[in-house]
Amino acid sequence: MARDKIYLEEEFPSPLLQLWHNFKETPVVMLGFGCFVFLTILALFSPLITPYASVENHLDFLLLPPAWHNDGNVSFLLGTDNLGRDMLSRLMHGTSLTFGLSFVVVLISLVIGVVIGSFSALTSGIKSSFLNHFLDVILSIPSLLLAIVIVAILGTGLNNTLWAIIMVLIPQFVHITRNAVTEEFRKDYVLASRLDGASSLRILYHSVFPNILEKLISQATLAQSSAILDIAALGFLGLGAQIPMAEWGAMLKNGIDLFYIAPWTVYLPGLAILFAVVATNLVGEGMRHALKVSKEA
Amino acid sequence: MSRLAVKQHLYKAILLPFLCIISACNTENDKSLSNHSIVYCSEGSPESFNPQTVTSGTTIDATSNQLYNRLISFRGEQNTIAPSLAKSWHVTRDGKMITFYLRKDVAFHQTRYFTPTRFFNADDVLFSFNRILSEEHPFHQVSGGKYPFFQSVSFSNLVESIEKINDYTIRFKFKYADSSILANIASDFAVILSKEYADALVLKNIKREIDTLPIGTGPFKLKEYRPGAYIRYAPHQDYWDKPSSLEQLIFDITPSSIGRLTKLLAGECDVIAFPIAHEKIKSKPELELEEVTSFNVGYLGFNTLKPPFNNVKVRQAVALAVNKQAIIDTVYQSKADMAHSLLPKTSWAYNKSTLAQTFDISKAKELMVDAGFPNGFTMNLWALPVQRAYNPDAITMAKLIQADLKKIGIKVLIENSLDMGSFLEQLSKGEHQSVLLGWSADHFDPDNFFTPLLSCSSAESGNNRTFWCNEDFDDLLQQALETTNVTQRKRFYSRALAIISTEVPLIPIAHSKRFQARKNIVKGEFLSPFGGIDFSKASKN
Amino acid sequence: MESILARQVKTNMLTFTLRRLNLFIFTMFLLTLLSFGLSFLFPGEQLMNISGQVNATPEQLIILGEQYQTQSNIFQQYFAYVNMLFHGDLGISMASQLSISTEIMSFLPATIELTLVALFIAMLFGIPIGFIAAINHRKVTDNIILSISMIGYSIPVFWLGLLAILVFSIQLGWLPSAGQISLLFEIEHVTGIQFIDILLSNSPYKWQAFQDASAHIFLPACVIALAPATIFVRLARTAMMEVLESQYIRTAKAKGLSFGQIIYNHAIRNAMVHVIRDVGLQFANLVTIAMVTEVIFSWPGIGRWLIESIYQRDHTAIQGGLLALSAFIFIVHIVTDFIYAALNPLARESRHGT
Repeated sequence: MARDKIYLEEEFPSPLLQLWHNFKETPVVMLGFGCFVFLTILALFSPLITPYASVENHLDFLLLPPAWHNDGNVSFLLGTDNLGRDMLSRLMHGTSLTFGLSFVVVLISLVIGVVIGSFSALTSGIKSSFLNHFLDVILSIPSLLLAIVIVAILGTGLNNTLWAIIMVLIPQFVHITRNAVTEEFRKDYVLASRLDGASSLRILYHSVFPNILEKLISQATLAQSSAILDIAALGFLGLGAQIPMAEWGAMLKNGIDLFYIAPWTVYLPGLAILFAVVATNLVGEGMRHALKVSKEA
Repeated sequence: MSRLAVKQHLYKAILLPFLCIISACNTENDKSLSNHSIVYCSEGSPESFNPQTVTSGTTIDATSNQLYNRLISFRGEQNTIAPSLAKSWHVTRDGKMITFYLRKDVAFHQTRYFTPTRFFNADDVLFSFNRILSEEHPFHQVSGGKYPFFQSVSFSNLVESIEKINDYTIRFKFKYADSSILANIASDFAVILSKEYADALVLKNIKREIDTLPIGTGPFKLKEYRPGAYIRYAPHQDYWDKPSSLEQLIFDITPSSIGRLTKLLAGECDVIAFPIAHEKIKSKPELELEEVTSFNVGYLGFNTLKPPFNNVKVRQAVALAVNKQAIIDTVYQSKADMAHSLLPKTSWAYNKSTLAQTFDISKAKELMVDAGFPNGFTMNLWALPVQRAYNPDAITMAKLIQADLKKIGIKVLIENSLDMGSFLEQLSKGEHQSVLLGWSADHFDPDNFFTPLLSCSSAESGNNRTFWCNEDFDDLLQQALETTNVTQRKRFYSRALAIISTEVPLIPIAHSKRFQARKNIVKGEFLSPFGGIDFSKASKN
Repeated sequence: MESILARQVKTNMLTFTLRRLNLFIFTMFLLTLLSFGLSFLFPGEQLMNISGQVNATPEQLIILGEQYQTQSNIFQQYFAYVNMLFHGDLGISMASQLSISTEIMSFLPATIELTLVALFIAMLFGIPIGFIAAINHRKVTDNIILSISMIGYSIPVFWLGLLAILVFSIQLGWLPSAGQISLLFEIEHVTGIQFIDILLSNSPYKWQAFQDASAHIFLPACVIALAPATIFVRLARTAMMEVLESQYIRTAKAKGLSFGQIIYNHAIRNAMVHVIRDVGLQFANLVTIAMVTEVIFSWPGIGRWLIESIYQRDHTAIQGGLLALSAFIFIVHIVTDFIYAALNPLARESRHGT
């Protein structure tokens, strides 16, 4: 007969679950996480759910203010811009571009950075010292400046912007990975595995990576908020996504000329960027806080 | 005193004067300085300080009426020709000779780079015009040797000689009669330079400075120029005409139209060029929006030397496919008149019967098939990179045309990455297939719309962006210039307009109005329907 | 005894200096390498990119080829380039055909002026607020400060600049929206730092010009300062929290010193030292933000010049500007390192790699 457990067993959740548990505790962070998830869903499904195509011109409805205004129109909930494009659709599409692509960019640079960082941690000597100094120099050049120069080389456009930002973020991950791996390699459990006869690669994959995963995730959220701001900044400067793409920064650039006659074309994209960055930062903060708490426990 | 108290006092000691500085500034705000100065937000840097060598409106605005005078000028309501540096003149009956009697006691500018020792006389007139006419003139090649306006009106072909009769009399002899010649001599381009200054430059071997550090007889002299940033003018103390009441005139170069509007709203500029957001300006009681019907036309020009636009049917097809009304509503925000012909309806040579074809997509498609392009083609469309009265936003216009032409199967690639200087340069080399440009007339004579834009000589100088050269058309223009009989001229011009209608070297799109916005403490009529602004007429309350 | 210690301290400072110098040289080497490499990476002819002489006649091209050693191998070309740099020749701008080093020297001081004022404002507000947050740890004040600083850190600076102009220049009319100083004042451009130029000029309106220049710098400096200020809040808060937990503070409490005395006499000084270390790191971030802000406020600095050069595809200017800007940031970083090391002898010891 199946019986309920009488003795309460102590449960030791895995590190990741422990992290999640700590993460859930702060309500503000959960709010941020909710927004983050909302943005992710929006980014993934926006082409399907936008009311209009984001580049469609509605020449009869130029410069409509948002619907709650006197002159607004409910079919264009957040108004239109100077070529009659629906702001709501554009903002939603922009989520895929500014927010969604920032995610992709961080993922790619994370993977590349980790690979390079691991290799660099495994080597030592002059090569390693050179790489250290080289990384230091690259890290000291501001990320936006570097991205701008890379865009100057490659040319303008959203694709080149993404490559530029990937290249700019990679050094951060290399740095973190290298430091973390080097630190882990000094620990005893690695020594134990080595004595068992495991190769470096195996140690890396099975033992070290799970332990540095938290640091990587924490850095990844920082990188993502910076990537969102960089993509938008490059779009704003006209070096990134070009109009009529619905990237938030490019929308802001387009809105400046209309600032006094249609201020919502400036307010709305800016608020969108702020919203996305705050959500990402909240998740990041929550993650870092959870890490700290779980380490202290 | 305890340390805490010390720290508090320290904070206060730093913060208070800081706040004081900030808050006190805008109320005081250099009232004495700003009362006698005008800051004008202009839309771009001048290409040079000599209007002879350019046609761009930005340069004309910065130089022609500020730094220089001409022999004759346009005055009054009817814009009749009036004396300026020439106090009177005499035209012979056959129209082939004009004698100008020059004004005495006209002083040139005295600046930190030049001090004149004599007054204006016939030598200066001789110098200014011979520089353009004679290729052997020592200053002809300086700054490139191009005088586009004069070339487009065939000035060198027209003028046989210029003679100095005495120090204050000068005689122009022409090879044939041309009824628009007085208008051309009164135009903003025909400024009078200082021969004495030119001679001094030759001695120092810096001839280029005649166009970069200008000396003229106009109401203002150049004090300082920071390229891309500002131009500072000081009043000419010994100006022969009524001097300006201003102590300073400053051009604040602000290419961004929202930047200019911001500066006007924030009070940093007194007058701004090409304002946007007219409703916003009108809603402010301390600002004023002026408009003036411009003598201009914005057009889509075809490079008739390059395929596919060497085929007239293709040109006609495109003309039928462009939705001009949508352009007027979007780009001009309904503040322009739709152009049915090259001439605006305020010109006396305007003719209703020679109107261009209207908007008709099906007919356009038929013509495309006729012309041998049933599946369309790809073309490039060059959009002018700056705002002009005749075209406030060429990029948006290009995008609308791009959408229009898509409907008849034409793919349009928009080219707008160059700055104005490179843009004009490449156009004159014929690098484009089609271009969005325009023309602001320099005087009321209808010839000014035809000869500089579409004549064969203009095609040679590169100012005729269509490179279209039609002998019948040129003949008609020539005949219209040879007579002073207005009715006859009208007839010639209608026939010329009819040719443009059928050959379609360009599609006239709109005649815009020129706007200017200013604080209402700025007084004076300094905006003109054609030509550059004239700040000598401006003053502050 | 004392002399031995003094010698030790001196040696430490000396080794520290030498190590920093070594890093500096290496960094400059890498930066010049990067800048040199750019001339190959940019589209267009390499010689054009590196010299900027787009209108050169064939004879001039030959001379240029000699100067930049285009016929030799890549190492000699690099050395030729560095040689030109040592002579102060960064080429000429493709767009304006003026010497790049002249243009940089005329624009860089304005950026220095703006970033220093912004840094000052960020520290002036960020650090005390951070200390207050730390002192009120786990109370409402702390949370409010953290929330506001999180938002301040997340606002895109270009948006903030636009809103600031809308509110302060147009709606309230308190502050001007563009430029370094009103054009009504004729202040001669001597150093590029407006305040010094005003003092050096012979204008009769010096005091008004001074007020005007302050008004012009205030808004952009505040916009730039917001994000760094929030970072200073965080840094100061962490530093102060660490210090408050530390041994000597507990000792002071045990000794019976009052709260105010503890804070002012001990805590602030020690926390400040920690914060100073990060000022240098923050500076790179600050300069980037300043670049975008310069564009919005039409501030005649090197950031705006660099961005305009990018619009105009002026490759020579981009190379020169990048080199100058990165070198500037790095020098500031080293200077703050020195200040930190001077204040805190513990920092002079070497750190393993980084």
